Amino acid sequence: MSWENFRFALFEKAPEALFEHSMIVVITITIAILISVPLGVLLTRPKYKGLGLVTLNVLNVLQAIPGLAIIALALPILGLGMKPAVVALLFQSLLPIVRNTIAGLIGVSPDVKEAACGMGMSQRRILLEVEIPLAMPIILSGIRTATVYVVSIGTLAALIGAGGLGNLIMGGLALFRPEYLLVGAGLGAIMAITLERSLSYLERRITPPGMRVS
Amino acid sequence: MIELKQITKQYLGQAMPAVENLSLSIPEGEICVLVGPSGCGKSTILRMINRMIEPTSGTVTIKGEDVSSTDSDQLRMGIGYVIQQIGLLPHRTIAENIAIVPRLYKWPKERIAKRVDELIVMMGLDLEKTRGKYPSQLSGGQMQRVGVARAMAVDPPIMLMDEPFGAVDPIARNHLQDELLRLQKEIKKTIVFVTHDINEAIKMGDNIAIFDAGKLVQFGTPEEILTNPKNSFVENFIGHDRVVKKLNLYRADDAMQPVGCLVKESDLQSAGQRMKDAGTEVAFLLNEVGQRLGHLTFAEFEAGKGDLEGLRKKVLRTEKAFVQISTSLPDALSLLLEFDSDYLGILKGDELCGMLSFKDIRKHVYRKDGE
Amino acid sequence: MTLKDFLNFLNKNTETIIEYTGNHFTLVLSAVIISLVIWVPVGLLLTKSDKWAARVLGLANTIFCIPSLSMFAILVTIPAFGLGRKSALFALILYAMMPLIRSVYDGAKNVDRSVIEAARGMGMSTARILREILVPLGMPIIFAGFRVTVVMTTGIAAIATYIGERNLGRFISEGLIRSNTPMMVTGALIISVIAIGLDTILGLIEKSIVPKGLRINR
Repeated sequence: MSWENFRFALFEKAPEALFEHSMIVVITITIAILISVPLGVLLTRPKYKGLGLVTLNVLNVLQAIPGLAIIALALPILGLGMKPAVVALLFQSLLPIVRNTIAGLIGVSPDVKEAACGMGMSQRRILLEVEIPLAMPIILSGIRTATVYVVSIGTLAALIGAGGLGNLIMGGLALFRPEYLLVGAGLGAIMAITLERSLSYLERRITPPGMRVS
Repeated sequence: MIELKQITKQYLGQAMPAVENLSLSIPEGEICVLVGPSGCGKSTILRMINRMIEPTSGTVTIKGEDVSSTDSDQLRMGIGYVIQQIGLLPHRTIAENIAIVPRLYKWPKERIAKRVDELIVMMGLDLEKTRGKYPSQLSGGQMQRVGVARAMAVDPPIMLMDEPFGAVDPIARNHLQDELLRLQKEIKKTIVFVTHDINEAIKMGDNIAIFDAGKLVQFGTPEEILTNPKNSFVENFIGHDRVVKKLNLYRADDAMQPVGCLVKESDLQSAGQRMKDAGTEVAFLLNEVGQRLGHLTFAEFEAGKGDLEGLRKKVLRTEKAFVQISTSLPDALSLLLEFDSDYLGILKGDELCGMLSFKDIRKHVYRKDGE
Repeated sequence: MTLKDFLNFLNKNTETIIEYTGNHFTLVLSAVIISLVIWVPVGLLLTKSDKWAARVLGLANTIFCIPSLSMFAILVTIPAFGLGRKSALFALILYAMMPLIRSVYDGAKNVDRSVIEAARGMGMSTARILREILVPLGMPIIFAGFRVTVVMTTGIAAIATYIGERNLGRFISEGLIRSNTPMMVTGALIISVIAIGLDTILGLIEKSIVPKGLRINR
């Protein structure tokens, strides 16, 4: 190991890789939330309840596909670059959020909904003021799972030219440069753990105070 | 006030209708209790009034207006609704929970705050301690008070209560019942109250509607129902102690008779003669400064004649046998047994205004039975 | 790429496919077995102490967050592990820590206290309680953890190709380097089918081991 290589990896290579990696994560998770939460809400409305199970089963199957395989499958279909990587990762980050959105909304006590309805709150109001706030911690926990997942599989996105921390690691493996490996892998681990910690902190913060007791 | 006309509710895939051809007119300003065994359709009926459930056929009108022609959310905002499970929003404070309907009405903030405080106090809760708490920090009884307060927030003329006190312990339930009755004297709401507990129905109801398998079996005042149960179902449902239950409907002053004879302690030896003159069988004894000492029956006087000290002792044994005019008859009966006494003196404040014996209670119940 | 390419590839490389599949499964199998031997007792032990449960579960959770490629890369730089099976196995066992410990712990903790209380009150011995109550009632949750572990391990094992494992992941890595699409896609499909198949089969078993009385409302 040489300090020179280490310094080069950390200061010359890592900033760009880290930025690319963050972009992949932020874009993928943002789109995943925008799709999954409304989908979860829709699938818990009485009209579409039947579709819920089907959707969950499909997403469950998608989820079982190994990350390396989904990245490999994205290449011939979508080509090289960040966009295909985001789409591939998106497929698998939907499930935890949709599943948790559904679980969170279903978990809201029917008595509370009944009382809200009996007081004349409209369905929209009940959704926005009662169901979503009460389901929020669980939805957020789904977002957390998805985020950790995307950070992790995001390292493989380098294989199809999306850049990111995977570039450093792959480079390090190809040339056997432990400095590159340590910087790339270390930053990836730190990023995943930091995001996980911050999101679970947010999750606790967002839990309505009345529900923290017990 | 609330009029149900030929209401039938048939659920899909069920052989029997949940409610069958029900017509019922619920009078204004009174408590009407819907009672019956579980599954008799009473909750369904209640929920058809605020359109939580839509009837299969028939109409519900409130003040002459067909509810199905109104906007269901608007309708519900104007009707108080209390359920057994309460359903307080767990992520909102008590004050915020009570403020829900006023907020739907877009009341100004100050008005909401004032009304919330008023209701918390009215429900007998500690204002400062309760306002900012969350539902999970309250006891079951306190939560249900908040539930009732929330339903009364905009002072709706109608309240629907579905087994409101079913989930609280018996002591708290009794308190809540008493307080609702006390409140009702002032607020005079039209309350439709569902319960499966006949005792609660008798206690709370101005009128009781008894249901069985989706059909109205009997409608009437508690007195009517206890006196003349329509058929064996009602008889069984109200229980074989219906006469004892009926006692609950009356207070001491309903059955008491006037005091016929008051005797000063110094005139004890002439008590017999005085009773004879007054045509009564009992005399109440007062001391020199007019304090009540107890009572003495004619038979006791005759048996112990001559032994003044013995008679005085007998009188003093009934020293405590006085109750207030508002005492319920079962309590009075229990006290008669407890004091092993033939009579109770009935007090209005500090004044002796009547007396009550086993015979009076019997006569009263009998008279009502014969009506 | 056409279906013909795909079949062609399968035909020409049958032996390699079998070899890689074999390697893949021996890695997955040994990782899962060692993980069960280590983590199940740990999970059971943790039910005795809330303090340690929080610590160990926290650690497992943190390890679980580490991207798999990072984990392999870090292990490779440690001389005792280096390139090859040792690193791969060690990484897979570390990943299995979270789902296995968590599910065993939850499974044991989730059994209604009053049921155990009642059993003890009827005079059941601890061994009997374990056998007749904790295992049947906790098994579905534990099995769900086992299922996640197997499917996850199968997927991550493919990534170990980058640290020298010759398994199904190799088709993908080789295919990428050589721009051999049929090779890459075939590898991805085989491994996907295996993962989905395992998940489905284990899912069916999971459903069937839920005691009848608990199946209502599921």
